[in-house]
Amino acid sequence: MVYWDNAATTWPKPAMVQQTVGQALRQYGANPGRSGHTMSLATAEAVYACRQAAATFFGLSDPTGVIFTPNCTASLNMVIRGVLEKGGRALTSDLEHNAVHRPVSAVAWGYDTAAWSPDEEETVENFHRAIRPDTRLLVCTHASNVFGVILPIRRLAKLAHDHGLLFCVDAAQTAGVLPIHMELDDIDYLCVAPHKGLYAPMGTGLLLCREREQVAPLVRGGTGSLSMQAEQPQELPDRLESGTPNTPGICGLRAGIDFVEGRGRQTIYTHEIRLLQRVYDGLCGHPGIQLYTPRPVEGNSAPVLAVNVEGVPSEVIAKMLDEHGIAVRAGLHCAPLAHRRFGTLEGGTVRLAPSAFSTMQEAEKIIEKFLQFAEKRLHISENMV
Amino acid sequence: MLANRLIFVGSVTNAMRGKKLLEEKHIRAFIQRATSPSAGDGCGYSLLVTEDAHRAEQILRDSGVRVIRTQDTL
Repeated sequence: MVYWDNAATTWPKPAMVQQTVGQALRQYGANPGRSGHTMSLATAEAVYACRQAAATFFGLSDPTGVIFTPNCTASLNMVIRGVLEKGGRALTSDLEHNAVHRPVSAVAWGYDTAAWSPDEEETVENFHRAIRPDTRLLVCTHASNVFGVILPIRRLAKLAHDHGLLFCVDAAQTAGVLPIHMELDDIDYLCVAPHKGLYAPMGTGLLLCREREQVAPLVRGGTGSLSMQAEQPQELPDRLESGTPNTPGICGLRAGIDFVEGRGRQTIYTHEIRLLQRVYDGLCGHPGIQLYTPRPVEGNSAPVLAVNVEGVPSEVIAKMLDEHGIAVRAGLHCAPLAHRRFGTLEGGTVRLAPSAFSTMQEAEKIIEKFLQFAEKRLHISENMV
Repeated sequence: MLANRLIFVGSVTNAMRGKKLLEEKHIRAFIQRATSPSAGDGCGYSLLVTEDAHRAEQILRDSGVRVIRTQDTL
């Protein structure tokens, strides 16, 4: 199978991730941080090693600020609802995934949206203009999960902090792909989908915190600490991490980080962008092919490309590709805001998303199929006229 | 006899972090679960240090690891 649906989740997972998950089930079967016996402590050590690896990977000096969550959506909900529990508006972009859009829509105090622009200055100015006296949290995607365009997070962090706002980044599509450094980029909260760019198993999520203010917990319960008191412990990670963690997934995440570091994050990113550039060059200018963004460029794009065949619903194209052994995602990609911004809300788009394991031969096969579909479609249209 | 010191840090994450911090300063520490935890200890994870106990405690405090209490032991 040609699997180019890696923006939904990466596949295959590296052999070292698969092996580590199996090993964790065999060796780290005890509950970490609870029982205190030898296997429980060994498991806790494995979990802590992942905290350290994630902290180092994302430039966070204190590993206790690394929170394990079920997924990136849970991380975003924890920040949005936890920060805005007692008041304040959210400010976000017009490219957001529903993982941000829906939680901010549910905030009682309301939210504002700033328009993304290909002109970075204009994007920052749009955010600036949208700040209100009661805005408390700027939360935005690092890159559109549909079109790959990037938001200038370092500049938005400065804008947020200059106005006394907290700054949260949805790095679902960029963690493990683009450089992110919590401290240099001055990010307060970073939400990560490790099963994507970090090649971890599904069911793993990360929230990295550099707290200026405490986030109120959404879930309270057992932490293995301060058990006599009814109140949730205030320290991180315990404040935001109740209940038994996903130890096999966390061990797999550690192996995923090792995989990305071993191959080189930049090397993987360069490889993926080159594949998309080849697809872009192979399709651009052909009658019946619709592309929505400029040619992907390193530093300006996350490795996803939106494409359509004129007059054919994206879901139909995806089904036809599937019949030829090519797995992609079509439709709205849980991001109606981004589709509205790019004028594709009606029929959605086909999303091409390669990974470290994708090849140039696969790119050629995808080009070939798209051109065949486009030609076939044009032929049908001409006959209809 | 040498006096060992138990430094109670509450959670297992604090214990792991504290152990790594001490190891970076060449102080050996062992994570232990308290056999008779006080009300404030929770599940009572502690670090057992057998050398430089005072320095170990100071390193932990300076690094932001919450020290709940200490207990000298044989």
